[in-house]
Amino acid sequence: MQAALEPFRQAHRAMNGYEVADSLKPIAPRHDPGRLYTFYRASNAHQVESEIRYALKYSKSSGLTRNESSAWTEVLVSYWKAIGEILAIEEATNQGRLCDGQWTAVYDAWKEVTNNLIKHYSNGNLPAWTIVCLYVAGTYLRTFAIKADEQLAKAKGGVTFNSGFQDDVVDSMAKNEKLEDAARQLNRMFSLCIGDRNPIMESRKWGTYYMANLQFKTYFKLKAIGLSKNVVRSINASDLPPLENFPKSHQVTFKYYTGVLAFLQEDYAQAETHLTEAWRLCHKDATKNQELILTYLIPCRLVARHTVPTSALLAHFPHLQQLFSPLVTCIKRGDLSGFDNALIACEDEFVKRRIYLTLERTRDIALRNLLRKVFIAGGYEPLKEGQTDADRIRRTRIPVAEFAAAFRIGMSGEGTGQVLEDDEVECMIANMIYKGLLKGYISRERSMVVLNKKGAFPGTGV
Amino acid sequence: MSASAQGSSTTTKAVVSDAKNGDEAKEQKPAAQLEEDDEFEDFPMEDWTEEDTQLPGGNTHLWEESWDDDDTSEDFSVQLKEELKKVGKA
Repeated sequence: MQAALEPFRQAHRAMNGYEVADSLKPIAPRHDPGRLYTFYRASNAHQVESEIRYALKYSKSSGLTRNESSAWTEVLVSYWKAIGEILAIEEATNQGRLCDGQWTAVYDAWKEVTNNLIKHYSNGNLPAWTIVCLYVAGTYLRTFAIKADEQLAKAKGGVTFNSGFQDDVVDSMAKNEKLEDAARQLNRMFSLCIGDRNPIMESRKWGTYYMANLQFKTYFKLKAIGLSKNVVRSINASDLPPLENFPKSHQVTFKYYTGVLAFLQEDYAQAETHLTEAWRLCHKDATKNQELILTYLIPCRLVARHTVPTSALLAHFPHLQQLFSPLVTCIKRGDLSGFDNALIACEDEFVKRRIYLTLERTRDIALRNLLRKVFIAGGYEPLKEGQTDADRIRRTRIPVAEFAAAFRIGMSGEGTGQVLEDDEVECMIANMIYKGLLKGYISRERSMVVLNKKGAFPGTGV
Repeated sequence: MSASAQGSSTTTKAVVSDAKNGDEAKEQKPAAQLEEDDEFEDFPMEDWTEEDTQLPGGNTHLWEESWDDDDTSEDFSVQLKEELKKVGKA
């Protein structure tokens, strides 16, 4: 046991929080694939506690106080037991004999590790510089909970397949039992961090954003997104150091989730700020995360700023290109039926990502661009005497019939075959005026649209 | 969330016939896969520098205006005139 605990002791002596946490991971490091096995084999259920206690207490230059030493003993003993469960699963999986409830056993054992850590951080036995251990505990608690729920669902699925409706209801309610439990533990860990009153240099407050991010991930998975707002509220009401003082990974993940939350509440200005920040700080090799940020930032910018991603940007992300590039092309062209088809083509994925409704709203921009093209095609008023080219102004009185014709062009193509009455065209133009995308008024007696001479289409240069 | 978890939630709705259950479970599969890569991934490292955030193409030219004036506006006015003519005849 002395030897098996050496990585932990070394890390602790060096006061390296990350390495201490590494020695508490439920997976073996790449340079030492047999670590879990060696550690577990170093003792047995009867002697593990006394052996670990002895190893920590009497090792040379351990530098542990009595309280800290017994706190780590408790943590490491529960860790040893959890490793036992994990090795059992590994073995069972290799032999193809995985039993029902085995992941639940891992979850429960790991929860014990987590609880011990919470207990000893909260009573001050464990120093805040080892707080990364809590990250490891929380991260894997969530992972194991998901695995356990999957296994439970699979086991139940087999039984309830032909049974009555009643059972099914119960089944679906209990579907995320362990993950919901994990969410409660994560909330405890979050409170443990954010509520720490120690001086900031030795405070658990530095773990707050990590825990908040784990909670976001969990709530999104549980489809209980609304609960994330409580986390944001607590953070806003706290006296945490500024976010930019935290590690980038904490910052980016937090900005991403608060951005998505604002997006879902249709606060696009706020969402854009957060997501742009996440984008700016994201590690350049984290392509998947960049892609996720853009998945929300693109619709966000479309609605809030009427700007589209360049083809150069989309070229870096083939999947996003496939999703957004047809929409973007149609928006630019003012191709309404093309837009509708592009939206339908990826409807499932848009809905799944919760961006469908926002994208639907960007049809207005395609429409604006179509109307704008009519305006541009209308050319200029003839020059009066003494005027030069610089003075020329665009024709601002445009018959409704021209817009109606443009609609027919924009709506042509397969699938639609929609013909609009002039009244409907007027109605759509009135809507565009109401939304501020077009400035002017409709003269009904003359069937004319009279556009504002100074900026008929605000923000588009004409 | 695994495909099986998704499948079991659909079977709760469709208890009418086994055949139908089977079909629905199949249809659910791509959606379930979609959900799996839905999650923001853990970064392999905790912190990094400003240099590590730069995109290969730099952070400029990411966005552009939503309209395109170079886009064959000549063609459009021709198209528009023809469309107007059609109505005139009718």
